[in-house]
Amino acid sequence: MSDPDAIRRMLLLEEAYFFLVFVGAMAVGFGGVHALRALRLRTWVRTRAERRHVAGAALFGAGWSLSTSCPGPIAAQLGQGVIWSLATIAGITLGIVVYAAAQRRAAVPEVPLFEPR
Amino acid sequence: MMGIGDPFSRIWLDGPYAASVDAILADQPPWWLGGPAIGLVVVGLFAATDQRLGFLGGYSEIVERVAARSLRFGWKAWFVFGVVGGALVFHVLSGGAGSFEGYGWLTRRFDDATAAAVLFGAGALIGYGAKTAGGCTSGNGRGCAYSHSLSASPSGSSSRGRG
Repeated sequence: MSDPDAIRRMLLLEEAYFFLVFVGAMAVGFGGVHALRALRLRTWVRTRAERRHVAGAALFGAGWSLSTSCPGPIAAQLGQGVIWSLATIAGITLGIVVYAAAQRRAAVPEVPLFEPR
Repeated sequence: MMGIGDPFSRIWLDGPYAASVDAILADQPPWWLGGPAIGLVVVGLFAATDQRLGFLGGYSEIVERVAARSLRFGWKAWFVFGVVGGALVFHVLSGGAGSFEGYGWLTRRFDDATAAAVLFGAGALIGYGAKTAGGCTSGNGRGCAYSHSLSASPSGSSSRGRG
C-alpha cells in the first residue's frame, strides 16, 4: 500500500484493489458507527458541506496524484526506509504551517489553528 | 515482491517459522480482510474515545508540539509513530517485502532532484488541502464512515476540532 506505483494504478483506474479496501472499510465503519448511534452509545453532529471542503479536497487530490501517496502510506514509507518520504513529509509540514499561519491571520474563531486536546 | 530472504535483514529470523512468516508477509492481504480491519479501527476508536480516526491530525499534532518545543504527544501523534514503527517491523520481518526502487513514475520520468522537489510540493498540497478540508484520505466521514473518497465529505470535522 506504500508503493507509489500501486496508488498510481488505482488513480488511473487500472487496479480495483484499493477501491475494494475502501469499500470494505466504509461498509464496516458505516455499519459500526451507525450501530453505536442506534444503541445510543455515541452520536455526532451533522454539518453542511462548505466551499472549503471542496477546495481542500481538490488541493489534496492534486498532491495525492502528484506524489501518488497520501499521509498514512507516507509514514509507512518512512518506516520502510524510503528516503523519498522525507521530501513529502517536509512538504506536508510546510502545508500545515502555512495553513495555521493563514488561519491565524484570518482569525476565524470556529476553526482552531490546531486541534484542541 | 522482491527482497524476500534478503540476507541482511533476515539474518536473525530463521528456524521453523521463517517460511510461514514469509508466506504471510509476502502477499498483500485480501481486500476483504484489510478494508474491514481499517473499518474496525475506526469503529473501535469512536466507541472507546468518541474520536475520529484521521492521519493528518497526527502530523498536525507533531508539528504543533514541536513548534511549542514540547515532546508531550497525544494519541494522534503516537498513531503516526505506530505506523512508522509498524512499517519498520514489517520491513525487517518480511526481509523487505513490498520494497521498491526509486519512487514510481516520478523517478522514472525526472531526475532525483526534480522528483524530490515534486514530492515536496505535493506534500505541501496534501498538508494544506487536508487541513482546509478538515481531514485527509483516512480522516473523512463519520456520517459516511471512513470514506476514502477523492472528495472530502461534509462531516464537520474541523468544527469538532478533529481531522
